Amino acid sequence: MATNGDRWTLNYSELGTGPVPTRPYLSKEYFELEREKIFKHTWLNVGRVEEIPEPGSYFVRDIAVCNASILVVRGKDGKIRGFHNVCRHRATKLVWHEQGCESKFSCNYHGWTYAQDGRLIGVPEEDMFFDLDKRQYGLLPVATDVWEGFIFINLEPAPKESLKEYLGELDELLAGYPFGELPVCFRFDADLKCNWKVIVDSQQEGYHAKMLHRRSLPGFLTNRENPSRHALDIQVYKRHRMISYFGNLERTPTPTEALAHRFGASVTKREFSMENMPPGVNPTRSNKWAFDEYVIFPNFHVLVFFGMCITHNVWPIDVDRAVWEARVYLPRAENAAQVFSREYGRCMLRDAWLEDGSTLEASQLGLASGMIDHFVLQDQELLVRHNYKVLEDYVNA
Amino acid sequence: MSTQVSQTKAGQTLPAGFEDLERFAAVWSLASERERNRQRLSSSMSEIQELYDALLTRMDQIIEYLNQLPLDNMPEEARRLLYLSLSLAEVAPAVEFYKQPEVVDGFPADRFLPVEVPNMSPAEG
Repeated sequence: MATNGDRWTLNYSELGTGPVPTRPYLSKEYFELEREKIFKHTWLNVGRVEEIPEPGSYFVRDIAVCNASILVVRGKDGKIRGFHNVCRHRATKLVWHEQGCESKFSCNYHGWTYAQDGRLIGVPEEDMFFDLDKRQYGLLPVATDVWEGFIFINLEPAPKESLKEYLGELDELLAGYPFGELPVCFRFDADLKCNWKVIVDSQQEGYHAKMLHRRSLPGFLTNRENPSRHALDIQVYKRHRMISYFGNLERTPTPTEALAHRFGASVTKREFSMENMPPGVNPTRSNKWAFDEYVIFPNFHVLVFFGMCITHNVWPIDVDRAVWEARVYLPRAENAAQVFSREYGRCMLRDAWLEDGSTLEASQLGLASGMIDHFVLQDQELLVRHNYKVLEDYVNA
Repeated sequence: MSTQVSQTKAGQTLPAGFEDLERFAAVWSLASERERNRQRLSSSMSEIQELYDALLTRMDQIIEYLNQLPLDNMPEEARRLLYLSLSLAEVAPAVEFYKQPEVVDGFPADRFLPVEVPNMSPAEG
């Protein structure tokens, strides 16, 4: 719990309470530093293991900020590997489909062919080359590892830290959450004219909920007992950070929401069991808990609810352009009632995210005016403040 | 991109006992979130309210009927009723939150695009 007069920020003297500069959201030079010093050196989530269940199942993830296309594929041995999706012959992008299942991968240009484990196994007219040693021309591997079913890649040729080391405290806090029991996923993508951190910031504070989501989520995180949406817990770690959100038990659901609650699980339903939950889920063990949001630096948010998980991946394209990828992970529906509850949650969340969406480009427009050189942040925006500190640590390293 | 496409075929019906909803099914029994959302955004608030009022009072009967059937092998008529019921979830925010078809001051829905996640997208629409 907060100790300094219930102001979380005061627990972290290194973060201060002063203004935060807006230059990182506007400067092309800063963006280039982020590209070179952050995104090419950190573990980035690219998907879930359930997406590639069979040997040969693959997906391709183009990471524009790193000028990289990554092929993630499950081998005959069940192991998930990542490769630069580039043919070793004339550097052509190897796999053009976004997903699929293949026993081997052939380049569409001259037909060089690679196995699921990256070995070069076929070269048309091989005898016309000069001393070609196929063993030297397998696909170039990308460091790839899996944590709790989330697949991460790291574009450092030999990452200085393992994924587990990089995640630090988060491993102990969240390992064991039943992510694997949520095999159904909805995904929405938006290509936005804003800096990537505008999106990250919009999803790492609850201050905006009372105003921006006053129509879609009235009283979701607030009531008379907690009028300012004070979080149950806020923690910042070396790079990552979390908020545990208060849930309002007094809220009267709308008629359709009440149906959704009666028919199955739903995002706003406040019933939960803490049995077998790891310590990072509802860490204060409050009976008025809504969900916890973990922000994994630089661009991956994991929101754990009871029986449901939301993730956000934010993909920088340019200093003023980024893709927001929102996902909802849910249990498989067993009957029509649960399909209805799930659909209610999907529509309600999507519409709430459309409310968020409008602020993102509006914020970048305001920033681009050049008239705002710093942000003034309140206590509940501590995670935004922490993000700036971590960014600075990386770009100045 | 979502690849699910529904065609409301002429002559299709709803299960016995739900004939009164047929006039709504012809418009709102759509297989994907995107189609239902487009239908919401191209409807008037009075059309949306009419659907909402008609479905809300029948949902217990609809779900009681559909819950007896296997999700992965539902007869065509029942599936049509399921898709119709999902349109209630789609229009609920318009009626209960926004009092208009679109999200008030919202980002354009056609720029917030559903993307199929391989092997994880639900079979039921």
